[in-house]
Amino acid sequence: MTIQDYRADAMRCTRCAYCKWVPLDLMKSWRFSKGCPSVEYGKFHSYSAGGRLITSLSLMDGRSTVTDKVKDSVFMCNMCGSCDVACKVCRYDMEPLLAMHELRAKLVEDGDLPEAFQPMLESLRKDYNTMGEPHERRGDWAKDLGVKDLTKTTAKYVFHAGCRYSFDGEQSEVARTAVEILKKAGVDFGIMGAAESCCGGKAFSIGVDQQLHNSADHNLAAWKKAGVDTVITPCADCYYAFKRLYTKHAGSTIKVVHMVELLDQMVTDGRLKMTNPVPMKVTYHDPCHLGRQGEDYVPWDGVEKKIFGQAVVYDPPRPRYNGAFGVYDAPRNVLKAIPGVELVEMERIKEGAWCCGAGGGAREAYPKFSEWTAGERIEEAESTGADALVTACPWCERNFIDAVRGTKGKLEVLDILQLVNMAL
Amino acid sequence: MEISRDAYRAIEDIVGTENVTDDPAFLDSYAFEWLAELVRPNRSHYMPRPWAVVMPASTREVQAVTKVCNKYKIKIKPISTGWYHWAAPMKDNEPTVQLDLRRMNRIIDIDEKNRFAIVEPYVICAQLQAEAMKLGLNCNIIGAGSSTSVVASACAYFGGGPSSHYMGNNSDNLLGQEWVTPAGKVVRTGSLSSGAGWFCSEGPGPSVRGVTRGNLGSRGGLGTYTKCAIKLADWPGPTEFEVKGRPPGYRLPVGENFRAYTIGAPNWDAWANCYYAIYDNGLGYIFHRQLNLAGANLATALWLTYIDPTKTLNDVETLAKDPEIVAINETARISFQLILAAQSLDGIQLQDKILNEILSQTGCYKVERYCEPDMAEFTNMYMQRLGHKHCNFIWAGGYMGSWMQAGTPDFVKDYVPTAIKGFEKDQQSHLLVECGGDALMGCGSTLGGGGYFGLEQFVSYDPASDASIDACIKHMEDAIADCVAQGLPLGKELLYLQIGWSDQRIWDGMAKAPQTFVLDFQRQFKNAVDPNSLGDRNYPWLPEKWGQAPAPALAK
Repeated sequence: MTIQDYRADAMRCTRCAYCKWVPLDLMKSWRFSKGCPSVEYGKFHSYSAGGRLITSLSLMDGRSTVTDKVKDSVFMCNMCGSCDVACKVCRYDMEPLLAMHELRAKLVEDGDLPEAFQPMLESLRKDYNTMGEPHERRGDWAKDLGVKDLTKTTAKYVFHAGCRYSFDGEQSEVARTAVEILKKAGVDFGIMGAAESCCGGKAFSIGVDQQLHNSADHNLAAWKKAGVDTVITPCADCYYAFKRLYTKHAGSTIKVVHMVELLDQMVTDGRLKMTNPVPMKVTYHDPCHLGRQGEDYVPWDGVEKKIFGQAVVYDPPRPRYNGAFGVYDAPRNVLKAIPGVELVEMERIKEGAWCCGAGGGAREAYPKFSEWTAGERIEEAESTGADALVTACPWCERNFIDAVRGTKGKLEVLDILQLVNMAL
Repeated sequence: MEISRDAYRAIEDIVGTENVTDDPAFLDSYAFEWLAELVRPNRSHYMPRPWAVVMPASTREVQAVTKVCNKYKIKIKPISTGWYHWAAPMKDNEPTVQLDLRRMNRIIDIDEKNRFAIVEPYVICAQLQAEAMKLGLNCNIIGAGSSTSVVASACAYFGGGPSSHYMGNNSDNLLGQEWVTPAGKVVRTGSLSSGAGWFCSEGPGPSVRGVTRGNLGSRGGLGTYTKCAIKLADWPGPTEFEVKGRPPGYRLPVGENFRAYTIGAPNWDAWANCYYAIYDNGLGYIFHRQLNLAGANLATALWLTYIDPTKTLNDVETLAKDPEIVAINETARISFQLILAAQSLDGIQLQDKILNEILSQTGCYKVERYCEPDMAEFTNMYMQRLGHKHCNFIWAGGYMGSWMQAGTPDFVKDYVPTAIKGFEKDQQSHLLVECGGDALMGCGSTLGGGGYFGLEQFVSYDPASDASIDACIKHMEDAIADCVAQGLPLGKELLYLQIGWSDQRIWDGMAKAPQTFVLDFQRQFKNAVDPNSLGDRNYPWLPEKWGQAPAPALAK
């Protein structure tokens, strides 16, 4: 697909601005009514999904050119998909998120990617990670855990820690916990260690699609060689990349499981018994890539057609992604199964969740915007009276941890695996 | 064309560099507007570009920017949420600054005891409703839905909605108001002007409601409304909605002191009689002909598809042919939605009893399938929050409303056959969505207590298709011809088309109005508050000596 493929979507946008809010039915207060971090921070309409559709059209029509302001309006966005959910409440088959991706890809193709993304891309090219770390150290987090090395042997499952859990020393404990749980449960798994490559999702999210293909080719080949049929990851970004992007863009058929789904299953079938009380009031943040963007990918190859004269449909029927079937229940089931934990919900949850601010390359290229976005979520979490903000994505966690430190707040930020570990 | 650099710098000094732009792509995001393609040359989706977009944060900044505009003779076009083609500048090559008021977004106060809220322009109806409900109050949400600005609907546009029947029209609910005139003067109206608070629009202090609002409002054509107080109504429901279900068909359980009905009628006479009886008996918290926006031939198939998150619009085609659905659809063909609410169980039971008696006497009935829990809860959600209003666009991406002449039920039912016949004929081109001739939608009443309303024909067209755009324009012209032939006043299609007309053409039409002295008076009023003519023609007026009657002198 290219941005040209979304020309009709742009012409059918009515500038209604639903994309700026949480789905209106879900709005519970003035304070937490906003859905789109980008337009709340950038303010001008161009920073919204609708605005970007118009920018696409304006550029295609030759009415305007790519200026620094235009670059900012295109790239200062988490690609969180809140706009996509809100738009589709009424505009049903519009695809603002996909169109925004193609706009980014077009700017990348034309050499208009902001310079601030280059360090991350350079790190990906050189060391296959987004963190600027030497790739040989990628498996160090698991050195003393006695996990199978799948470059040397085979297993049914591969545990993919992802860039952040591999290299962020403060967060690696989460990956180690996951490994311990998998071992105790008797799962036949291993890791790729230094041969693990970034999923490529972050590069894709900024429009550098080729990097996704490179990563997918490498990871899929490595997993195939190791006899893997299922990838388990504690990272929502990786989950999305493997489940949606690899399937769509690399024809992957590998099964993808997020750790929270596995934990939920293990609680249900009795393999995970949490007996140690954890007396905490917690609130749960739905990572965008696990929640509203975590729906199964359904292959589709078709065309637009019209029924009833002008009503727009697709032949064959096109799958809809509107956040209806994201991974929402599994993490909540796990939290409810932890003795002593009281789950209190924020106002914006599930498909209506406010983003952590880390996605879409924002953390790398627009750190102030990214931190502000996280700060908004922290404030929402604090409004529930929770002791801890729990989530299931290392990028969300890192952004929240930094935001809480920035404000010297008292809210604890935890991965759900850390809570589970406390209860074991 | 670029704005004068001196003017631009002066505006930057007021609002800050980050709150003003003249980047062409950014300007296009304000020029691009729904309906533009129906009125602009070559079916362009763009209205004229503003020369700059400015985001003031306060009344003081609005006033200061307005004064700069007066100094440099730059037109001013304020928007709040910025929807409709008239939200953009009106003319090419006319220097216009677009004031985007999104930074003025506070609910300043909700006076629980006196039941009103004071809001800035970027507060949308859904936000105010959510906050008001915490206090047992509610606000009228206009027909365009809860993503719209409270200030815009109260101060600058029509202001009617499905709950107007109970809560009043927002132009009626307007209390104190703060207005920056195009000349840059700050006018505070009603009791606000006397320092007595926001509670009254008429005084002590000036009331300008009649001249700035009229029926349709000034639509950004007469300066900037920076704050207003809006009357609130009682809310007998919970402090927040406990929404169920998956997108897009969210559902709101119907509380024990609420009812969510779709009422069907065997014919339009019975339908009108039912409306009268509802008014006479003071029934109804929300009263609207809503779900028919999809067209009476397809409505049932669409909504049963929409509330099932596993389906796609392709399923409508199959469902619409299903004999069971066809039968349900026939029972809902002449129908409307009615939400009842009461403070007590006795109250709701009494209302039910009265409604049943009305139905029995008029031959109307509850449409069973629509009153089953899934559809009733969906209807309840839809009508209470009006968060699905942009389903207007669901078929093809474009919608244009024709007809909508307002009057009593008997008046409205009399133009229904013409509206249906004309729309059916225009659908035969296959260039509009063929949903049946009756896609008529409208409030049960836009008058508090009932009595006055209109029905708007929902014409769905594809804005990405030149042929479909042309078919929509033809329908607008046909509707005008049908109205003229029937001796009816013209409807919304004229209002939309006029945005693309020349001044001369508009004035030629206005000069034939029965009381042109009103437009003459409005010119004099405009001259007084807008001496440099920086507002646009959305505030209607006639040049001197264009009317039939001499203009009364403006009192000094």
